[in-house]
Amino acid sequence: MSCTVRIPSPLRSYTAGAVTVAADGATVAEVLASLERHYAGIRFRMVDEQSRIRPHIRLYVNMEEVKDLSRPVGSRDTVHVICALSGG
Amino acid sequence: MTLSAAELSRYHRHIALPEIGRDGQERLKRAQVLVVGAGGLGSPAALYLAAAGVGTLGLVDCDRVELSNLQRQVLFDSAAVGQLKTEAARERLLALNPEITVVAHTLTLRAENVLETLRDYDVILDGTDRLTTRYVVNDACVLLRKPLVSAAIHRFEGHAMTYLPGRGPCYRCLFPAAEEGAVANCAQAGVLGVLPGVLGAIQATEAVKILTGIGEPIVGRLLTYDALELRFLELPVTRRADCAVCGEHPTITAPQEEEALCDSVVHSQVRRIDATALRDLLAAERARASLELIDVREPREFDTAHLPGARNIPLADLERRLRDLTRERTPVFICRSGRRSLVACTLAVLGGIAAPAHLEGGLLAWAAQVDAGFEVAAG
Repeated sequence: MSCTVRIPSPLRSYTAGAVTVAADGATVAEVLASLERHYAGIRFRMVDEQSRIRPHIRLYVNMEEVKDLSRPVGSRDTVHVICALSGG
Repeated sequence: MTLSAAELSRYHRHIALPEIGRDGQERLKRAQVLVVGAGGLGSPAALYLAAAGVGTLGLVDCDRVELSNLQRQVLFDSAAVGQLKTEAARERLLALNPEITVVAHTLTLRAENVLETLRDYDVILDGTDRLTTRYVVNDACVLLRKPLVSAAIHRFEGHAMTYLPGRGPCYRCLFPAAEEGAVANCAQAGVLGVLPGVLGAIQATEAVKILTGIGEPIVGRLLTYDALELRFLELPVTRRADCAVCGEHPTITAPQEEEALCDSVVHSQVRRIDATALRDLLAAERARASLELIDVREPREFDTAHLPGARNIPLADLERRLRDLTRERTPVFICRSGRRSLVACTLAVLGGIAAPAHLEGGLLAWAAQVDAGFEVAAG
């Protein structure tokens, strides 16, 4: 099952600048694993060694915040990755 | 506080709006707004707030205007290069609207001065380029119960959210912590010049709405803007019961020192070397052999002058080139002010390098304390 992931500006260096990418997976955890297969290193920027979402990252499926990576993802869903920005 | 004939004329288009009217304009005149950071965001925000007739406008910034600021910081013109931003901004804002008062706070907000600086203001706008300052300002706003309009930018993307005391989530509910370095800033990543124009204008809009009591502020909603796709998104943000500052059992009851707010795990691994200590290390042959000097400035800056033996790996390339670094020697990251080098250390730690070092205060400190003849290129 393939969903759409919106990549935040600070992580677009991993996706060759792509704003949205397709990823496979029935859960958020699987979607992140799919991203990692295509864009090595990107997963660790979003979750830590214990698979906890990093404190400067927020994940949403559509408009709903993801607290648990087992959250199901459907093929029409969009996963939004939000990263704290520091520029002013 | 009544409006003079000149003010009635100046603010006519506001007064013509029934939602604002004379009463709203008088509220603006009585209001005191603090803009933290006279940069890309602070520039349009301060200009619009001055034009709108906010009676007292405070500006916090400790930097001087640099040529590279002018691509987006529309408060300043070429003649202002080299001047203190707060001074140049005051001149510009008073030229735009002599009816208002502009207060220059030429300082960096820290735990020890933030409460005192914010105390007299009604609304705070945060447009700083330092994450640690964002947390200091947020925590102070929560503790002082002040509305805070936050915005931040990166390359082509921007965020904005408003915090109203007692009503919604704060910045720390949005991002409980953020390590400086895991989040690149504009100096390294670049930024579309007009991007902060959009976000800074949103901040000014929020301030005017809060002060006049109209509309619905972006409370509990993170507004994201992508300039490339020209797309705005709104994502819900809820207050965290376990938020360290606005939660049910807050652990932050006074502003914290910024070091404590950085990601302590990363920062505890970073070795800070001041300019004179680095000089001594470089003079000792064995110590010198254990260090690898990595200058993370842009090639143009590196070419102007660099420390003998230093390699140039611009910060933007560092993550990709971390594997080029030998693990036998300790990398000592060097930049102009010590800011980019600290980011480099964080990237190195996240990349698996155990104990990187950086030159605290950067080459500016080197020129001040060790070698007055060392020419430090403008950033």
